[in-house]
Amino acid sequence: MTQATDIPKPALRAAAAETPAAPRGAWMRKVTPYLFIAPFVISFLLIFVGPALYALGLSFTNYRGFGSFRWVGFYNYVTMLQYDAFWITLRNTAFYWVAHAAPMMGIALGLALLVRSRLARYRRFFKTTIFLPQMIASVTAALVFQNFFGTTSGVLNGFLGMEIPWLTDPDLAPWAVVLILIWRGTGYWFVIFLAGLTSIDLEIEEAAKMDGANGWQRLWRITLPLMKPILLFAFVVDMVVTWRLFAEPNVLLGRAGTLAPIEQAPVLNLVVENIRAGQFGQAAATGWLLFIIIAVLTFVMFKLIGSKTRGSER
Amino acid sequence: MTDTTTHQTQTALPEEMPAERRSRTIILIVLLIAAIFFTYPTIQMLVNSFKSNDGIISNPSGLPDPWTLSSYADGFLGDRGLTRALINSIIISTTSTVIAVALSAMAAYGFAKFQFRGRDLIFAALLTTMMVPPEVLIPGQYLIFARLGLIETLTVQIIPTVTPVLGLFLIRQYMLSLPDEIIEAARIDGASEFMIFRRIILPMAAPVLSAYAILHFLSEWNAYLWPSIVATTPEVKPIMVLLPQLVDQEVGFLPVYGTIMAGCVVATLPMVIVFLIFQDKIMNSITLGAVK
Repeated sequence: MTQATDIPKPALRAAAAETPAAPRGAWMRKVTPYLFIAPFVISFLLIFVGPALYALGLSFTNYRGFGSFRWVGFYNYVTMLQYDAFWITLRNTAFYWVAHAAPMMGIALGLALLVRSRLARYRRFFKTTIFLPQMIASVTAALVFQNFFGTTSGVLNGFLGMEIPWLTDPDLAPWAVVLILIWRGTGYWFVIFLAGLTSIDLEIEEAAKMDGANGWQRLWRITLPLMKPILLFAFVVDMVVTWRLFAEPNVLLGRAGTLAPIEQAPVLNLVVENIRAGQFGQAAATGWLLFIIIAVLTFVMFKLIGSKTRGSER
Repeated sequence: MTDTTTHQTQTALPEEMPAERRSRTIILIVLLIAAIFFTYPTIQMLVNSFKSNDGIISNPSGLPDPWTLSSYADGFLGDRGLTRALINSIIISTTSTVIAVALSAMAAYGFAKFQFRGRDLIFAALLTTMMVPPEVLIPGQYLIFARLGLIETLTVQIIPTVTPVLGLFLIRQYMLSLPDEIIEAARIDGASEFMIFRRIILPMAAPVLSAYAILHFLSEWNAYLWPSIVATTPEVKPIMVLLPQLVDQEVGFLPVYGTIMAGCVVATLPMVIVFLIFQDKIMNSITLGAVK
């Protein structure tokens, strides 16, 4: 590998210029890029594409991990759609998404505006502290909040001197999950909005200032409209991520590493439960249903964004 | 109290000053409240880790009395298995990061700096797969790894993570901006293609490689769903799977929060230190990933 460096450069140049080497060189040049991408692409085919197609095939069988595959058509999909638990987990996940997305984005954007404001001090300190929860793992965060919201020996009830069942009352428990999502997620979008705000042309704002627009007018008429594409993008990405929710509700509301009760369970719990029960066909069908839901919602949101953006340009 | 300062600055900006000072204070207060909200849970984790498992039940919300390391001892010196789990997590995350960054960097170079048939098609196809949530593959992956006899190993936790399309995308974007002239010059000097990659491209791409490496390591360190399915024995469990399972050894099911918090602190501290050192790099890489 290193021997070429020992050879004087003029000699190498001469060797490269020799004609007999040219056809070989041309062939090498053609093959080289494939050699660079091959390890990734081949691994990807084996690790991702293969299992994905296998899971797709499985979803149409009743395979249980042993014995033979029997083609059952859409049976697994139909069963899942007729299964109460599927709709409950769907509703739960939708709730987690709706309940956390708007406040989180609002807080993230508000804090980004404040930190970027001319009047803010200790910017770096605040940036660091707001982003810090991103460095805490979901599992760790869920455990810390479990300790905080515990009924008999929780930190919050200790402060209050009460025994409020924060995590076992079905009306309260989902909100604890929402709080974790906001706590952990805000810093990420805060940093992204901060970058977005910085990239907004300062001159536009200066021009507006000259025209006598006050702070609020500048915020509503200039800054926010310019931030709209980033904000909408944030909502789409956050939606996709939330449909894949798993660790937070299960660690927080499950007992000692078990799954959360069905009343608070996210959709992915059905994939995990079916795998643990050996129902691979059913698990695969559930996974692909989740993919369809995400794809449809993403498509709808992009459509909405598209029409809205066109509307504002008119 | 503020009279003198007002006098001094009044010449510059006449009537704006008092209002501005009030806004300044309000902004500071709001940001301080935010800072408390976002740091409090981490501080609570740290403080409670210095209580014993009995102390945290009798005194959940106060300061430790006395401050003790007994929860750390229970977690890492006894038979809780936290040390083993921590080592497993380090092995898994490190190996995954090294392989993932190596594969992504090579492929990114291929896609960024060469013309070849099918290049744009293959790259677009790879990006499209990001639409498919990785959890969809789990039943397929589980059965394949089961057939290979790899369930309940560290390997099964590493392999599915080594081809990150996001990493490939980020590194390629960065490599596109590297000048072609340097590569051409090296070629004329007779350097082999792999040598150009190793000696010229990798050092020049170091900023994006290290930034992505940190992101990848973090996401592997935090992995929970797949390991909780394929790693259930003490020998191969990562720390994130073990932490929620730490319960009172006599009563069962009752979480031992002292030990859990001690484990959480040990699992979190390295990340926080890395963050405090490389925070600009980490925040920038996150922005890169989002603003496509």
